Amino acid sequence: MFIAVSSVILIAIAVGLVRAIRGPSLYDRVLAANMIGTLTVLMVAILGFMTGRPEFLDIALVYVLISFVSTLAVLRVHNPGAGTTASSVKGSGEQ
Amino acid sequence: MENLINDVLLGLLMITGFAIVRMKSLLGVTMLTSIYSLLSASLFVVLDAVDVALTEAAIGAGIATVLMVATVALTTDEEKVPRHTPLLPLLVVMATGAALIYGTLDMPHHGDPLAPAHRYVADSYLHDSPVEIGVPNVVTSVLASYRGYDTLGEVTVIFTAAAGVLALLGYRTRGRNIEAAGIRKQVVLRVIAKLFFPLILLFALYVQFHGDYGPGGGFQAGVIFATGFILYALAFGLGTAQRLIPSQLLRILAAAGVLIYAAVGLESMLLGGKFLEYRVLADDPIAGQHLGILLIELGVGITVASVMLIIYYGFVSRRH
Repeated sequence: MFIAVSSVILIAIAVGLVRAIRGPSLYDRVLAANMIGTLTVLMVAILGFMTGRPEFLDIALVYVLISFVSTLAVLRVHNPGAGTTASSVKGSGEQ
Repeated sequence: MENLINDVLLGLLMITGFAIVRMKSLLGVTMLTSIYSLLSASLFVVLDAVDVALTEAAIGAGIATVLMVATVALTTDEEKVPRHTPLLPLLVVMATGAALIYGTLDMPHHGDPLAPAHRYVADSYLHDSPVEIGVPNVVTSVLASYRGYDTLGEVTVIFTAAAGVLALLGYRTRGRNIEAAGIRKQVVLRVIAKLFFPLILLFALYVQFHGDYGPGGGFQAGVIFATGFILYALAFGLGTAQRLIPSQLLRILAAAGVLIYAAVGLESMLLGGKFLEYRVLADDPIAGQHLGILLIELGVGITVASVMLIIYYGFVSRRH
Protein backbone atom coordinates (compact mmCIF):
# COMPACT_ATOMS: atom_id res chain seq x y z
CA MET A 1 0.00 0.00 0.00
CA PHE A 2 2.70 2.47 1.07
CA ILE A 3 4.79 1.37 -1.88
CA ALA A 4 1.99 2.10 -4.33
CA VAL A 5 1.22 5.49 -2.79
CA SER A 6 4.82 6.64 -2.62
CA SER A 7 5.58 5.56 -6.18
CA VAL A 8 2.54 7.46 -7.45
CA ILE A 9 3.70 10.55 -5.54
CA LEU A 10 7.23 10.22 -6.91
CA ILE A 11 5.91 9.92 -10.47
CA ALA A 12 3.75 13.00 -9.93
CA ILE A 13 6.78 14.91 -8.61
CA ALA A 14 8.78 13.87 -11.68
CA VAL A 15 6.01 15.08 -13.99
CA GLY A 16 5.82 18.37 -12.11
CA LEU A 17 9.58 18.72 -12.41
CA VAL A 18 9.31 18.38 -16.19
CA ARG A 19 6.88 21.29 -16.26
CA ALA A 20 9.11 23.34 -13.95
CA ILE A 21 12.11 22.81 -16.22
CA ARG A 22 10.38 23.26 -19.57
CA GLY A 23 8.36 26.28 -18.53
CA PRO A 24 7.91 28.19 -20.77
CA SER A 25 6.48 31.02 -18.67
CA LEU A 26 7.30 31.82 -15.05
CA TYR A 27 3.74 31.01 -14.01
CA ASP A 28 4.18 27.41 -15.18
CA ARG A 29 7.24 27.16 -12.98
CA VAL A 30 5.54 28.76 -9.99
CA LEU A 31 2.62 26.37 -10.32
CA ALA A 32 4.94 23.40 -10.72
CA ALA A 33 6.92 24.40 -7.63
CA ASN A 34 3.70 24.79 -5.69
CA MET A 35 2.48 21.39 -6.81
CA ILE A 36 5.78 19.74 -5.89
CA GLY A 37 5.50 21.46 -2.51
CA THR A 38 2.09 19.90 -1.89
CA LEU A 39 3.34 16.51 -3.06
CA THR A 40 6.35 16.78 -0.77
CA VAL A 41 4.03 17.35 2.18
CA LEU A 42 2.22 14.13 1.25
CA MET A 43 5.49 12.32 0.68
CA VAL A 44 6.88 13.30 4.09
CA ALA A 45 3.63 12.28 5.78
CA ILE A 46 3.65 8.90 3.99
CA LEU A 47 7.30 8.33 4.91
CA GLY A 48 6.51 9.13 8.52
CA PHE A 49 3.85 6.46 8.71
CA MET A 50 5.84 4.01 6.61
CA THR A 51 8.76 4.14 9.03
CA GLY A 52 6.47 4.30 12.06
CA ARG A 53 7.55 7.78 13.16
CA PRO A 54 4.53 10.06 13.06
CA GLU A 55 6.56 12.98 14.42
CA PHE A 56 7.62 13.49 10.81
CA LEU A 57 4.30 15.29 10.52
CA ASP A 58 6.00 18.32 12.12
CA ILE A 59 8.07 18.72 8.95
CA ALA A 60 5.01 18.36 6.74
CA LEU A 61 3.30 21.04 8.83
CA VAL A 62 6.22 23.44 8.39
CA TYR A 63 5.90 23.04 4.63
CA VAL A 64 2.16 23.58 4.68
CA LEU A 65 2.59 26.74 6.72
CA ILE A 66 5.45 28.45 4.95
CA SER A 67 5.98 27.07 1.46
CA PHE A 68 3.53 29.53 -0.10
CA VAL A 69 5.42 32.53 1.27
CA SER A 70 8.12 32.14 -1.38
CA THR A 71 5.48 31.80 -4.11
CA LEU A 72 3.97 35.01 -2.86
CA ALA A 73 7.34 36.76 -3.01
CA VAL A 74 7.94 35.64 -6.61
CA LEU A 75 4.52 36.85 -7.70
CA ARG A 76 5.15 40.18 -5.98
CA VAL A 77 8.35 40.68 -7.99
CA HIS A 78 7.13 39.36 -11.29
CA ASN A 79 4.43 41.75 -12.26
CA PRO A 80 4.63 42.37 -15.97
CA GLY A 81 1.23 44.05 -16.07
CA ALA A 82 2.53 46.98 -14.05
CA GLY A 83 5.42 47.46 -16.43
CA THR A 84 8.02 47.18 -13.70
CA THR A 85 9.40 44.04 -12.20
CA ALA A 86 11.53 45.30 -9.39
CA SER A 87 9.73 47.94 -7.42
CA SER A 88 6.86 45.81 -6.18
CA VAL A 89 8.97 43.45 -4.09
CA LYS A 90 9.08 46.15 -1.44
CA GLY A 91 6.07 44.38 -0.13
CA SER A 92 4.11 47.57 -0.25
CA GLY A 93 2.01 46.55 -3.21
CA GLU A 94 2.62 49.45 -5.53
CA GLN A 95 0.76 47.89 -8.40
CA MET B 1 11.90 0.23 -0.75
CA GLU B 2 13.64 3.10 1.02
CA ASN B 3 16.67 2.59 -1.19
CA LEU B 4 14.50 2.91 -4.27
CA ILE B 5 12.94 6.14 -3.00
CA ASN B 6 16.47 7.34 -2.23
CA ASP B 7 17.64 6.66 -5.76
CA VAL B 8 14.64 8.30 -7.39
CA LEU B 9 14.97 11.40 -5.19
CA LEU B 10 18.72 11.62 -5.89
CA GLY B 11 18.02 11.33 -9.63
CA LEU B 12 15.42 14.10 -9.48
CA LEU B 13 17.87 16.24 -7.48
CA MET B 14 20.50 15.75 -10.17
CA ILE B 15 18.08 16.69 -12.96
CA THR B 16 17.05 19.81 -11.02
CA GLY B 17 20.68 20.73 -10.49
CA PHE B 18 21.47 20.55 -14.20
CA ALA B 19 18.32 22.52 -15.04
CA ILE B 20 19.38 25.26 -12.58
CA VAL B 21 22.71 25.58 -14.38
CA ARG B 22 21.08 25.68 -17.81
CA MET B 23 18.24 28.09 -17.08
CA LYS B 24 18.65 31.76 -17.94
CA SER B 25 15.66 33.34 -16.19
CA LEU B 26 16.77 33.95 -12.62
CA LEU B 27 13.26 33.89 -11.17
CA GLY B 28 12.82 30.49 -12.83
CA VAL B 29 16.08 29.43 -11.21
CA THR B 30 14.72 30.60 -7.86
CA MET B 31 11.67 28.38 -8.32
CA LEU B 32 13.90 25.46 -9.23
CA THR B 33 16.05 25.97 -6.13
CA SER B 34 12.93 25.86 -4.00
CA ILE B 35 12.03 22.56 -5.71
CA TYR B 36 15.59 21.39 -5.02
CA SER B 37 15.12 22.16 -1.36
CA LEU B 38 11.77 20.34 -1.25
CA LEU B 39 13.34 17.25 -2.79
CA SER B 40 16.35 17.29 -0.50
CA ALA B 41 14.13 17.65 2.56
CA SER B 42 12.28 14.49 1.47
CA LEU B 43 15.65 12.82 1.06
CA PHE B 44 16.67 13.83 4.60
CA VAL B 45 13.42 12.36 5.91
CA VAL B 46 14.15 9.07 4.13
CA LEU B 47 17.63 9.13 5.67
CA ASP B 48 16.03 9.61 9.11
CA ALA B 49 17.75 12.97 9.68
CA VAL B 50 14.61 14.61 11.01
CA ASP B 51 16.20 17.72 12.48
CA VAL B 52 18.09 18.43 9.26
CA ALA B 53 14.90 17.91 7.28
CA LEU B 54 13.06 20.37 9.49
CA THR B 55 15.85 22.93 9.00
CA GLU B 56 15.78 22.42 5.25
CA ALA B 57 11.99 22.76 5.27
CA ALA B 58 12.09 25.96 7.29
CA ILE B 59 14.98 27.62 5.46
CA GLY B 60 14.78 26.26 1.92
CA ALA B 61 11.05 26.53 1.37
CA GLY B 62 10.62 29.95 2.90
CA ILE B 63 13.43 32.30 3.70
CA ALA B 64 16.13 31.30 1.20
CA THR B 65 13.75 31.66 -1.74
CA VAL B 66 12.38 34.97 -0.47
CA LEU B 67 15.90 36.39 -0.06
CA MET B 68 16.90 35.20 -3.54
CA VAL B 69 13.80 36.80 -5.02
CA ALA B 70 14.62 40.02 -3.17
CA THR B 71 18.12 39.92 -4.66
CA VAL B 72 16.75 39.37 -8.16
CA ALA B 73 14.43 42.32 -7.63
CA LEU B 74 17.41 44.53 -6.74
CA THR B 75 19.46 43.36 -9.72
CA THR B 76 18.04 41.80 -12.86
CA ASP B 77 16.04 38.76 -13.92
CA GLU B 78 18.26 37.78 -16.86
CA GLU B 79 21.49 35.92 -16.47
CA LYS B 80 24.40 37.62 -18.23
CA VAL B 81 25.80 35.70 -21.17
CA PRO B 82 29.49 35.17 -20.46
CA ARG B 83 31.77 36.48 -23.19
CA HIS B 84 34.78 34.34 -22.45
CA THR B 85 35.10 30.75 -23.63
CA PRO B 86 34.05 28.23 -21.02
CA LEU B 87 37.15 26.09 -21.59
CA LEU B 88 39.29 27.25 -18.68
CA PRO B 89 36.45 27.19 -16.10
CA LEU B 90 35.50 23.74 -17.35
CA LEU B 91 39.07 22.53 -16.83
CA VAL B 92 39.22 23.99 -13.33
CA VAL B 93 35.88 22.41 -12.40
CA MET B 94 36.90 19.04 -13.84
CA ALA B 95 40.21 19.11 -11.95
CA THR B 96 38.48 20.05 -8.68
CA GLY B 97 35.84 17.38 -9.21
CA ALA B 98 38.47 14.76 -9.94
CA ALA B 99 40.39 15.75 -6.79
CA LEU B 100 37.23 15.49 -4.71
CA ILE B 101 36.32 12.08 -6.12
CA TYR B 102 39.90 10.95 -5.49
CA GLY B 103 39.45 12.16 -1.91
CA THR B 104 36.36 9.99 -1.42
CA LEU B 105 38.42 6.86 -2.18
CA ASP B 106 39.97 7.11 1.27
CA MET B 107 36.63 7.53 3.00
CA PRO B 108 35.04 4.58 4.79
CA HIS B 109 32.34 2.71 2.91
CA HIS B 110 28.69 3.66 3.26
CA GLY B 111 27.35 2.14 6.48
CA ASP B 112 30.74 0.86 7.64
CA PRO B 113 30.42 0.29 11.41
CA LEU B 114 34.15 0.93 11.85
CA ALA B 115 33.95 4.40 10.28
CA PRO B 116 35.47 7.08 12.57
CA ALA B 117 32.09 8.81 12.82
CA HIS B 118 30.65 5.79 14.64
CA ARG B 119 33.58 5.00 16.88
CA TYR B 120 34.68 7.82 19.12
CA VAL B 121 32.30 10.28 20.76
CA ALA B 122 29.11 9.25 18.93
CA ASP B 123 28.76 6.04 20.93
CA SER B 124 29.18 7.75 24.26
CA TYR B 125 26.72 10.51 23.27
CA LEU B 126 24.08 7.95 22.35
CA HIS B 127 24.82 5.88 25.42
CA ASP B 128 25.19 8.59 28.06
CA SER B 129 22.74 11.20 26.83
CA PRO B 130 19.61 9.66 28.45
CA VAL B 131 21.40 9.40 31.81
CA GLU B 132 23.37 12.64 31.82
CA ILE B 133 20.95 14.97 30.09
CA GLY B 134 17.64 13.18 29.98
CA VAL B 135 16.40 14.83 26.81
CA PRO B 136 14.65 12.42 24.41
CA ASN B 137 16.04 14.10 21.27
CA VAL B 138 19.74 13.22 21.25
CA VAL B 139 20.38 15.76 18.47
CA THR B 140 19.31 18.52 20.84
CA SER B 141 21.46 17.24 23.67
CA VAL B 142 24.53 17.03 21.41
CA LEU B 143 23.89 20.41 19.82
CA ALA B 144 22.98 22.34 22.94
CA SER B 145 24.92 20.62 25.68
CA TYR B 146 27.82 18.40 24.57
CA ARG B 147 28.70 20.74 21.71
CA GLY B 148 27.52 23.92 23.38
CA TYR B 149 30.73 25.78 22.48
CA ASP B 150 30.26 25.06 18.76
CA THR B 151 26.68 26.23 18.87
CA LEU B 152 27.70 29.45 20.62
CA GLY B 153 30.16 29.94 17.76
CA GLU B 154 27.43 29.33 15.19
CA VAL B 155 25.11 31.86 16.78
CA THR B 156 27.95 34.38 16.81
CA VAL B 157 28.53 33.70 13.10
CA ILE B 158 24.85 34.37 12.39
CA PHE B 159 25.05 37.60 14.39
CA THR B 160 28.16 38.59 12.44
CA ALA B 161 26.31 37.93 9.18
CA ALA B 162 23.63 40.40 10.21
CA ALA B 163 26.30 42.95 11.09
CA GLY B 164 27.87 42.41 7.67
CA VAL B 165 24.59 42.82 5.82
CA LEU B 166 23.86 45.98 7.81
CA ALA B 167 27.30 47.37 6.99
CA LEU B 168 26.91 46.61 3.27
CA LEU B 169 23.26 47.42 2.65
CA GLY B 170 22.24 49.56 5.57
CA TYR B 171 18.65 50.50 5.82
CA ARG B 172 16.45 53.36 6.64
CA THR B 173 15.06 52.73 10.08
CA ARG B 174 11.60 53.38 8.74
CA GLY B 175 10.59 52.05 5.34
CA ARG B 176 8.28 53.94 3.06
CA ASN B 177 4.82 53.08 4.18
CA ILE B 178 2.79 53.20 1.05
CA GLU B 179 -0.63 51.93 1.94
CA ALA B 180 -1.38 51.32 -1.71
CA ALA B 181 -4.89 50.81 -2.88
CA GLY B 182 -3.62 47.66 -4.56
CA ILE B 183 -3.39 45.79 -1.27
CA ARG B 184 -6.96 46.48 -0.38
CA LYS B 185 -8.01 44.80 -3.59
CA GLN B 186 -6.14 41.60 -2.81
CA VAL B 187 -8.72 40.32 -0.37
CA VAL B 188 -7.72 36.66 -0.66
CA LEU B 189 -4.09 37.45 0.09
CA ARG B 190 -4.91 39.59 3.08
CA VAL B 191 -7.35 37.13 4.59
CA ILE B 192 -4.96 34.21 4.11
CA ALA B 193 -2.07 36.19 5.55
CA LYS B 194 -4.17 37.18 8.56
CA LEU B 195 -5.19 33.57 9.12
CA PHE B 196 -1.72 32.11 8.71
CA PHE B 197 0.30 34.72 10.58
CA PRO B 198 -0.77 33.61 14.09
CA LEU B 199 -0.60 29.93 13.11
CA ILE B 200 2.98 30.29 11.88
CA LEU B 201 4.03 32.08 15.07
CA LEU B 202 2.30 29.44 17.19
CA PHE B 203 4.05 26.66 15.31
CA ALA B 204 7.37 28.47 15.71
CA LEU B 205 6.84 28.53 19.48
CA TYR B 206 6.00 24.81 19.38
CA VAL B 207 9.21 24.03 17.46
CA GLN B 208 11.16 26.23 19.86
CA PHE B 209 9.98 24.68 23.10
CA HIS B 210 9.37 21.15 21.84
CA GLY B 211 12.91 20.82 20.48
CA ASP B 212 13.96 18.67 23.45
CA TYR B 213 11.35 16.07 22.58
CA GLY B 214 10.82 16.18 18.82
CA PRO B 215 12.68 17.58 15.86
CA GLY B 216 13.43 21.25 16.07
CA GLY B 217 15.02 23.83 18.29
CA GLY B 218 16.08 27.44 18.27
CA PHE B 219 17.51 27.59 14.75
CA GLN B 220 14.42 26.21 13.04
CA ALA B 221 12.01 28.11 15.27
CA GLY B 222 13.79 31.39 14.62
CA VAL B 223 13.53 30.93 10.87
CA ILE B 224 9.84 29.99 11.05
CA PHE B 225 9.17 33.00 13.27
CA ALA B 226 10.90 35.31 10.79
CA THR B 227 8.96 33.76 7.91
CA GLY B 228 5.73 34.66 9.68
CA PHE B 229 6.75 38.31 9.80
CA ILE B 230 7.93 38.21 6.19
CA LEU B 231 4.49 36.95 5.17
CA TYR B 232 3.01 39.86 7.11
CA ALA B 233 5.35 42.28 5.33
CA LEU B 234 4.50 40.81 1.92
CA ALA B 235 0.78 41.15 2.52
CA PHE B 236 0.53 44.45 4.39
CA GLY B 237 3.65 46.35 3.36
CA LEU B 238 7.10 46.76 4.82
CA GLY B 239 6.14 49.90 6.70
CA THR B 240 3.32 48.14 8.55
CA ALA B 241 5.63 45.28 9.44
CA GLN B 242 8.21 47.73 10.74
CA ARG B 243 5.60 49.35 12.92
CA LEU B 244 4.89 45.89 14.34
CA ILE B 245 8.55 45.05 14.94
CA PRO B 246 10.85 48.06 14.43
CA SER B 247 14.38 47.75 13.07
CA GLN B 248 15.98 49.24 16.19
CA LEU B 249 14.31 46.57 18.30
CA LEU B 250 15.64 43.88 15.93
CA ARG B 251 19.21 45.09 16.36
CA ILE B 252 18.88 44.91 20.13
CA LEU B 253 17.24 41.48 19.97
CA ALA B 254 19.91 40.07 17.65
CA ALA B 255 22.57 40.97 20.19
CA ALA B 256 20.41 39.96 23.15
CA GLY B 257 20.10 36.37 21.91
CA VAL B 258 23.87 35.87 21.76
CA LEU B 259 24.20 37.57 25.16
CA ILE B 260 21.59 35.26 26.73
CA TYR B 261 23.57 32.29 25.45
CA ALA B 262 26.89 33.60 26.76
CA ALA B 263 25.29 34.69 30.04
CA VAL B 264 24.15 31.12 30.69
CA GLY B 265 27.79 30.09 30.29
CA LEU B 266 29.00 32.78 32.69
CA GLU B 267 26.27 31.94 35.19
CA SER B 268 27.36 28.32 35.27
CA MET B 269 30.93 29.52 35.88
CA LEU B 270 29.77 31.72 38.75
CA LEU B 271 27.97 28.74 40.26
CA GLY B 272 31.21 26.81 40.31
CA GLY B 273 31.00 24.81 37.08
CA LYS B 274 32.80 25.19 33.79
CA PHE B 275 31.66 27.51 31.00
CA LEU B 276 28.30 26.21 29.69
CA GLU B 277 28.23 23.36 32.20
CA TYR B 278 24.51 23.39 32.82
CA ARG B 279 24.21 20.82 35.56
CA VAL B 280 25.22 23.35 38.23
CA LEU B 281 22.31 25.62 37.27
CA ALA B 282 19.81 23.71 39.42
CA ASP B 283 20.02 21.44 42.44
CA ASP B 284 19.31 18.39 40.32
CA PRO B 285 21.88 17.95 37.49
CA ILE B 286 19.23 16.79 35.00
CA ALA B 287 16.97 19.73 35.82
CA GLY B 288 20.00 21.99 35.37
CA GLN B 289 20.67 20.50 31.93
CA HIS B 290 17.03 21.05 30.94
CA LEU B 291 17.09 24.65 32.16
CA GLY B 292 20.37 25.39 30.38
CA ILE B 293 19.21 23.86 27.10
CA LEU B 294 15.92 25.74 27.25
CA LEU B 295 17.68 29.06 27.88
CA ILE B 296 20.34 28.75 25.22
CA GLU B 297 17.78 27.52 22.65
CA LEU B 298 15.79 30.64 23.49
CA GLY B 299 18.86 32.78 22.85
CA VAL B 300 19.48 30.98 19.54
CA GLY B 301 15.85 31.44 18.47
CA ILE B 302 15.83 35.17 19.28
CA THR B 303 19.07 35.83 17.42
CA VAL B 304 18.14 33.76 14.35
CA ALA B 305 14.69 35.31 14.03
CA SER B 306 15.94 38.88 14.34
CA VAL B 307 18.92 38.33 12.03
CA MET B 308 16.66 36.88 9.32
CA LEU B 309 14.34 39.87 9.62
CA ILE B 310 17.27 42.33 9.62
CA ILE B 311 18.53 40.79 6.37
CA TYR B 312 15.04 40.86 4.83
CA TYR B 313 14.45 44.47 5.84
CA GLY B 314 17.90 45.36 4.52
CA PHE B 315 17.17 43.86 1.12
CA VAL B 316 13.68 45.16 0.51
CA SER B 317 14.01 48.62 2.00
CA ARG B 318 16.84 49.38 -0.37
CA ARG B 319 15.92 51.66 -3.21
CA HIS B 320 16.34 50.11 -6.62
